[in-house]
Amino acid sequence: MQGIWIFAERKDLALELLTIAGGLASQPGVKVTAVVPDQGDQADIYIAGGADELVLLSPLGEDMSLDAWIPVIAAEAKEADPDIFLIAATARGKDFAARLAARLDTGLCSNCIDMRREEDGTIVMERLAYGGAAVQRVSCETRPVMATIPPRTFSPSPADHARSGAIRTLPLPPSTPVRVIARKTKERSSQDITEAKTVICVGRGMEKEEDINIARQLAELVGGEIGCTRPISEELHWLPDDLCIGLSGVQVKPDLYLALGVSGQIQHVTGIRGARVICAVNRDENAPIFQAADLGIVGDLRDVTPKLMEELKKATGR
Amino acid sequence: MPNIVACFKWVIDEAYIRKGASGALDFSAVDYKISDYDRNAIEEAARLKGLHGGSVTVLTAGAPEAAKGVKDALSRGADQAFFASDPIFNQLESSQTAAILGEIIRSRIPYDLIICGEGSSDQYAQQVGPRLAEKLGIPCISYVQKLTIGEGGRVLAERRVEEGVEVVEAPLPVLVTVLPEINTPRIPGVKDTLMASKKPVVTIKKEELPAIGAARLQTLGMTATRMERNCEKFAATPEGIAGFVEALQKKGVIS
Repeated sequence: MQGIWIFAERKDLALELLTIAGGLASQPGVKVTAVVPDQGDQADIYIAGGADELVLLSPLGEDMSLDAWIPVIAAEAKEADPDIFLIAATARGKDFAARLAARLDTGLCSNCIDMRREEDGTIVMERLAYGGAAVQRVSCETRPVMATIPPRTFSPSPADHARSGAIRTLPLPPSTPVRVIARKTKERSSQDITEAKTVICVGRGMEKEEDINIARQLAELVGGEIGCTRPISEELHWLPDDLCIGLSGVQVKPDLYLALGVSGQIQHVTGIRGARVICAVNRDENAPIFQAADLGIVGDLRDVTPKLMEELKKATGR
Repeated sequence: MPNIVACFKWVIDEAYIRKGASGALDFSAVDYKISDYDRNAIEEAARLKGLHGGSVTVLTAGAPEAAKGVKDALSRGADQAFFASDPIFNQLESSQTAAILGEIIRSRIPYDLIICGEGSSDQYAQQVGPRLAEKLGIPCISYVQKLTIGEGGRVLAERRVEEGVEVVEAPLPVLVTVLPEINTPRIPGVKDTLMASKKPVVTIKKEELPAIGAARLQTLGMTATRMERNCEKFAATPEGIAGFVEALQKKGVIS
């Protein structure tokens, strides 16, 4: 039957998926089904956001992993046979989606950034490939067409409290051999860099950990947040991983992005594509970052940054 | 002692892709490599063998040219390789790759633990590991940053999730997909490369496998990403830096 299913672990992500579902279900008669964890509150928020049917997943036991739901949701989806199934691309969501796609023997567009219906009814999806160097356009001939959608790719669906919908709750599934024995919540960095207006990015050109202070001082002067490239967080552990900008990290869209000692690998550049003005300081004039930048200074960041700060103070009268 | 299978993909090194005329991708100067995170998968298999004994088998499906990758993988601590080789195997889609790898493992390789990279450097669909686990009907633990084999053949894994870390436990056999921070892959030396040439490689032709189904996802086109920025470069001189700041002001991003 005609229908669009969505699954997200979190409410904010479910509302983003409902935005896409709303766009694709423009003709009447297409039922939108939201499958979400039952968090005991505000079920109507999903209905106001565009769901016609709400399937609530009973809270899992403390030691149960999300994959306990895979057989249940696969059976439900086979039965309902929707055209489209969208899943929020969290770590657990991506794993869940791939295994569901295997069970439903269908295609899955991972990290889909655009999805639209062509005139002939074909769903055409876009995603990035080769570290972000290429845009891949795909379609799927089997049912359902599945896609995982990275968080914050779409805005949340606006609420229409006049809407109504049916609600049902799925009972707790049996446990799987995978047992969760601990959940550790990481300490969040003080600021969310995805929302920052100015981002100063630290790259491998920083020779020692103390050099990050150069970036911190600049960030403080211009009222920005610190971000970094993958080697800084993953290999050197100089900064926490939620500050890592790039394809597999966070995507930022500040007004000003300024890179200090960032070489500009394609995976990183993919994460700053949405920045309004991109600037770079690098001593290698052939560094790829300069091809992605609007403005650049060729020079050693330890030498340039203090001078740049003096000049900025003069220009802004601080 | 665990039999460990590490899966890998021989991919185009994306750093060599150029932007061609009218948005096409120019692959004329590309080189190939073992997909970045698959190097971590092989390293993790070799590391666990070092601790617990057992064996490490590397497995790939690719075009005949991927033989170079098979040798590279064998120089990274593996004992033997299985190589599904066919000219069309460099165009596989995740569901097809999982089907081929699954068939070979099921019919030819005794296993306790299967390790895959979390995603490939080219497509980064992040699907082969989880789909392969489903094919084999075994548990899957994805996005793992720390892996231990404990008492009684249970694996303990720290998986990275949005809010932090989920520590999970599962009995073998199990499939794990690994993040790059799990280890630092070795750089094989001359001796490793020489030894790799002597290790057994089982090459499997397409005809020896059940028919491969159609791709579940069809690629309609692939174009270079547009990044239209004309970098204006300034020298690291007082005049250059002043010019840079002036340009920032003109763009209205500092005040």
